[in-house]
Amino acid sequence: MKTLYDYYRLFPHTDCGYCGSTSCLTMLRRYCLGKSDLNSCIYFKSGELPSPKISYSPPHLKEPPTEKISYIRPCPSEPTKVTIEVNVLPQTHSPYGYFDMITADSIFDRQIPNLKISPSLGIVRIESEAGDVMVFSEGKVIIRRGADEKRAFWEISRAVRLLWATVNRKIRAESAH
Amino acid sequence: MMLDINKIREDFTFLRSGRIYLDSTATSLTPEPVLKKVLEYYREYRANVGRGIYNTAQTATSAYENARAEVAKLINAKPEEIIFVRNTTEATNLVANGLKFQEGEKIVTTILEHHSNYIVWLRVKNTKKLELSVVQSDREGHLSPSDFAAHIDRRTKLVAVTHTSNVLGVRPPIKEIVKLAHEQGSLVLVDGAQSVPHTKVDVKELGCDFLAFSGHKMCGPTGVGALYIKEDLQASVEPLCIGGGSIDDVGIDYYRLRGGPNKYEAGTPPIAEAIGMGAAATYLMNIGMDNIEDHERKLTRRMLQGLANIEGISLYGPKDAEKRAGIISFNLKGMNPHDVAVALDTTSGVMVRSGHHCALPLHKHVLNAPNGSVRASVYLYNNYDDVDVFLDTLAEISKTLM
Repeated sequence: MKTLYDYYRLFPHTDCGYCGSTSCLTMLRRYCLGKSDLNSCIYFKSGELPSPKISYSPPHLKEPPTEKISYIRPCPSEPTKVTIEVNVLPQTHSPYGYFDMITADSIFDRQIPNLKISPSLGIVRIESEAGDVMVFSEGKVIIRRGADEKRAFWEISRAVRLLWATVNRKIRAESAH
Repeated sequence: MMLDINKIREDFTFLRSGRIYLDSTATSLTPEPVLKKVLEYYREYRANVGRGIYNTAQTATSAYENARAEVAKLINAKPEEIIFVRNTTEATNLVANGLKFQEGEKIVTTILEHHSNYIVWLRVKNTKKLELSVVQSDREGHLSPSDFAAHIDRRTKLVAVTHTSNVLGVRPPIKEIVKLAHEQGSLVLVDGAQSVPHTKVDVKELGCDFLAFSGHKMCGPTGVGALYIKEDLQASVEPLCIGGGSIDDVGIDYYRLRGGPNKYEAGTPPIAEAIGMGAAATYLMNIGMDNIEDHERKLTRRMLQGLANIEGISLYGPKDAEKRAGIISFNLKGMNPHDVAVALDTTSGVMVRSGHHCALPLHKHVLNAPNGSVRASVYLYNNYDDVDVFLDTLAEISKTLM
């Protein structure tokens, strides 16, 4: 058991909310950040789960991720601009996450302007003139107000490359099966 | 009386997945008793209405007319005063096209309106050479009777006003507006899309001449709505469509329309949907509109208190839950409303609306929010947990992503 995702695998995945967090994964992310107590989890408290020994090692991959386009549409409020959603992990049914935003937080530590990281929610938000990108830990990337399709895809690729070091290697290996 | 929320929630299978639905202003969820009624028509007695003489056709006609009676009861109207339409939008279009306007007459509306009760008047203004007068609200969306008094005069044919704003949740003083309008000989159309599903609406008490509302926002199916037209006005309002079912007699060079609601319901109506809307009206009346309103007020109070503590929030409309319905629009500083909505959905399964909510003039000229806003709204099936998860996630978004 090395990462929080390994630990998450042991969870019943009920997202019951009794701990006060919105999902088991959010609770674990908060725990890793020292913001929540595992005893708030009724499953942990009942002794069904072992005590965690979670550590991080930034993963790296040999092959680049494939991007699957979910949609390309005009922006709902600004029809001259474009909004695109892609998934860097096709068949992204894995609830464990793809980008590890806690690792992202420790790497970037708010050093890049216009980049905001929410390790607890598992979201990275990047603002740029060519469009605003949101990257979600489960592998979803959305750009809004993209100047045009070409620049929007460029911004998406840039965000994915930026977060390359945070890709949850183990999950990717599993989903390849 | 307290609502048994857990029991109510069991009726809404949509909620079983754990999703948190806070977008009932856009459309509501449908409970099992309503779905059952809709399917029952298709399964047991599917026939056209108002036409066949055989037994099953009579059963279908009775169910359709019974639905009309139930919808009428919900707003204290006579069944003959209820016309089934597609939705609120079709209802406002029916009035805009059906009233006999004379050149130079005036229509009064407000800056709070949904596009469906706004652009129809812009169009008729141009086609019939009318004047359109728009009543402005204050920053919170309040409108007082005196605001209307300055606009309504002898030339005013119609006052078209919302009962509950779909952005701010505020409720203009309809009774007073109706009194002012009637004194000047003007008619009043009330957009009840956001009021009829959530509060006790009594057309006799309001005194309005038209009331438009949708089935899909009151736990009914999509594709059906209702327009109340005061009985003595029906002779002077032309139908939007004519055809089968709406005539008394047709010859080679003439036709004569029927009286009553049939005049407006040309062609085969959405029968199953209308039956579903009737069942929804019954469902809401059984629970009690006052109970629903009380419940929503409690949730609204909790939501407003929670939102006030979130950093960087701009909350639109009154801060007092007593002065608004359970519709709350806001923005987080520097964040696009769509981004906030996506973050809420992806991380916590909370569904809220983002954008301008079909009310661009309001966002541009009153709220100064041309990019729109995020809107969370509650209904009878929401509970405190829904509100708390929404608030917790929003607080986290504000702390980490804003």
